[in-house]
Amino acid sequence: MNLKFTYTKLLRVIFLMLILLPTLAGFTYALLYSFGLTGLLSEGFTLKHWTETLSDFYAWKSIGFSLMIAMISVFISFWISLFLVLKLTKDFQKKWFHRLIFVPLCFPATVMALYVLQTFSKSGFFSRISYQLGFIDQIESFPELTNDAYGIGIMLTSVLMVFPFFTIYIKNIFDAEKLNEYQQLSQSLGASSLQTFWKISLPILWRKSKLTLMLYIIFVMGSYEVPLLLGRQNPQMITPRIVDKAQRFNLQDIPQAYAMALMYLGVVLILILVTSASFVQFFKRKSDA
Amino acid sequence: MLKRTIHLVLITLILLPILVLMMLSFGEQWIFPDVFPQNFNTKTWLKLFSSDSEISKSLGLSVLISLSVAFLSTLMAFVFSKVISTSKYKNQYIKLAYLPYILSPVVLGVLWHYFAVVLKLNASFFGVVLAQFLICFPFGFIILSSFWSRHIYDIQNLSFTLGASTYFSFKRIIFPLAKPILGLCFFQCFLISWFDYGLTQLIGGGQIKTLTLSVFNFIKEANIFLAAIASLLLLFPPLLLLFFNKKIKFKRSLINTH
Repeated sequence: MNLKFTYTKLLRVIFLMLILLPTLAGFTYALLYSFGLTGLLSEGFTLKHWTETLSDFYAWKSIGFSLMIAMISVFISFWISLFLVLKLTKDFQKKWFHRLIFVPLCFPATVMALYVLQTFSKSGFFSRISYQLGFIDQIESFPELTNDAYGIGIMLTSVLMVFPFFTIYIKNIFDAEKLNEYQQLSQSLGASSLQTFWKISLPILWRKSKLTLMLYIIFVMGSYEVPLLLGRQNPQMITPRIVDKAQRFNLQDIPQAYAMALMYLGVVLILILVTSASFVQFFKRKSDA
Repeated sequence: MLKRTIHLVLITLILLPILVLMMLSFGEQWIFPDVFPQNFNTKTWLKLFSSDSEISKSLGLSVLISLSVAFLSTLMAFVFSKVISTSKYKNQYIKLAYLPYILSPVVLGVLWHYFAVVLKLNASFFGVVLAQFLICFPFGFIILSSFWSRHIYDIQNLSFTLGASTYFSFKRIIFPLAKPILGLCFFQCFLISWFDYGLTQLIGGGQIKTLTLSVFNFIKEANIFLAAIASLLLLFPPLLLLFFNKKIKFKRSLINTH
């Protein structure tokens, strides 16, 4: 019995090591490197790299740009999913529809980005159709939808990848919360469809999916393949920027890459803390009531 | 009428990517402003079967890496989920397992690169498998944690009461009960590895040419036809499974899996 207890304890320690050690080791190394305490060109403790990174306008711009793209993508995906779930509630029971909605989840980010590039770029499928239909008279006339300054291509790809998952997720909440019954009840009490949506359906779905939406904002923020294919150098999303800096031939850039990676992790942790805090508060208020 | 329009838009939106990729994979010479490639043939697809084909090598390598990662992650996750399930800090352990996802695998790849170099694991098959394992294992753990419920322990205890040995109980009771969730976990880990680009690129240093890396290389070489074939090959396993096995759901969300 004692041996089994020791064995279990040992395995739990190994588990913690497997989960935490790689992350903490990487984190510590990055921290030391960014303070000039290790690395090929290390000259002892310095705040130079952090000062440079924190005052780097483009680093902050990248974080802001990533956050903006993630928030817009998740917001659009949420509304598309909401629309589909509320308009096509009964269709989810049909086998073909159920399978169809799962199809985009089979797409890796790389493939979806390739599709968007070949379809929405200036020489893409839709540009060619527009030319044949006479909407544009030359390739340059087609709007810049990929590798553009606003990240439209990145957002489009993110939405195409995220909305099917949200649709399935929101439909699950819809069923679990028996929203159909609430809707019928509110309408039988005289509420209009619009009132039912704003006062019943949306608040319930929003409350239940808020945390997942937040996690998806973080996931989209950290995406790499999509901005690599569909983004540009300025403004650039944060992950390609970090990788670019870390892999450049200029060794002076590496400490900044690590500082930027830590800065990004800090932003993500703040986002998580803010969300968790608001959730704790929400539940506290609920239990107080 | 509105419903029909929504159906039509949705079908187009979802199936157009596959159709466009199919068109490109059979196409040759797609010069602006032609809507479709000038020629359609199977020439590019046939390259797949030639002995020195880069895509078939990448396909083989991707299958090998993904199967190794999925097997290793599922096995380890199953063992550790059992060990953690009896802990009073179970929820805290599960929360810790979310860490690699929240911190972005690519950023972790940047942070791990130095250690891969020191341990001579960079640009190697094992380095990539290990890096992907460190991402897949926590995910597998989260999935399998839901298996070890009170009910499972009750059944196991019942089998012990009836005289079953630990091995017999595992073989005849636990394993058959766990099979569906083990399948789900294996498939999810396989997909994470199968879809990965950033981590493989960083730890593999571009030397471990999986299918996702091939897609990027073909795009860089402006060979969209080969990129389309490699993309369709990437889509093949998940689509096949979706078609044949509707029981396996795609649990992308960390919330959903918990």
